[in-house]
Amino acid sequence: MIPVLTSDRLTLRGPDARDIAALGAFYGSDRSRFVGGPKDAEMAWRQLATEIGHWTLCGYGRWMVDVTETGETVGMAGLWNPAGWPEPEIGWDLFDGFEGKGYATEAGAMARSYAYDVLGWDTAISLVAPANTGSARVAERLGAVMERSFTHVRFGEVLVYRHPAPGALADGGAEAYA
Amino acid sequence: MIPVLTTDRLRLCAPRIEDFEHWAAFFASERAIYERGMMSRADAWRIWASDVAGWTLRGYGPFRVETPAGEYVGEVGIYEPDGYEGLELGWFVIPETEGKGFAAEAARAVMTWARGRFGWDRLTNIIDPRNVRSVALGLRLGGVIDPDGKGEDPGDVVIVHDLKRVAA
Repeated sequence: MIPVLTSDRLTLRGPDARDIAALGAFYGSDRSRFVGGPKDAEMAWRQLATEIGHWTLCGYGRWMVDVTETGETVGMAGLWNPAGWPEPEIGWDLFDGFEGKGYATEAGAMARSYAYDVLGWDTAISLVAPANTGSARVAERLGAVMERSFTHVRFGEVLVYRHPAPGALADGGAEAYA
Repeated sequence: MIPVLTTDRLRLCAPRIEDFEHWAAFFASERAIYERGMMSRADAWRIWASDVAGWTLRGYGPFRVETPAGEYVGEVGIYEPDGYEGLELGWFVIPETEGKGFAAEAARAVMTWARGRFGWDRLTNIIDPRNVRSVALGLRLGGVIDPDGKGEDPGDVVIVHDLKRVAA
């Protein structure tokens, strides 16, 4: 079972078949250019399935990010470590029209708290495409620092941001799964 | 959630993350030419994980096949190939355990399970014609080549299994 995380504004829940429309729209658009897209409908479906299979195989993965009050799905965020990844990552994607509200930062912090407090990770990275300035700002807002660059077999060059270790975070973020 | 099936010599159960190393080796080898093509670890992982997600999304998918001692033999189960509108009975056996009839034994168990669980009348194999061992296995299991069957790629051999007969 995929755990549900909540904050004041957001609910992070497991992806399922109903999310294909949102994922298809995201991966069908230029917004996905920093994260392996654009993809056609069939590859968007495979992406959704990969997200779900990641949970089954690793016991963690990425959540759909819903605004609790409206039920709108505004993006995906969570923990990602498929083959070919340099190390376990905290990642976030926002769908069109939901930028500028702090959702990615909030969801990224919730995912990081889960990684540190529940899964016991002692470090975490986030991967950011060099031109993805919006995502870099989210990483920086979360206190992550650019450490090096990494070349992925398919995505090419990405920047590795290192998050503060669990002990360096003043607030463990326990509210994330209250 | 993912069922466990047992046969005389085998146990079929949920795939595990460490099984991926066998898939990575397969997709890095020329054996993969007949089966989705050679690919990087990164691409192989994404495809394999999406296959495993069938269990969550639809209630069927690939089983890890192991000996009673827990040694990995391969993977057999229900797959939904890209661009194919139907369910495929698929099998994969690592080189070290080929030639023992393990794939056939596991495939029979999966067909029986699928018939009992979902009431399906048929499952198909979609096989590259150069993959003669796999075609032979499909026929040995009682499957029939559908000459008009449409596979994933032009020229694919489509073998139909009548589950009403298998699971009598």
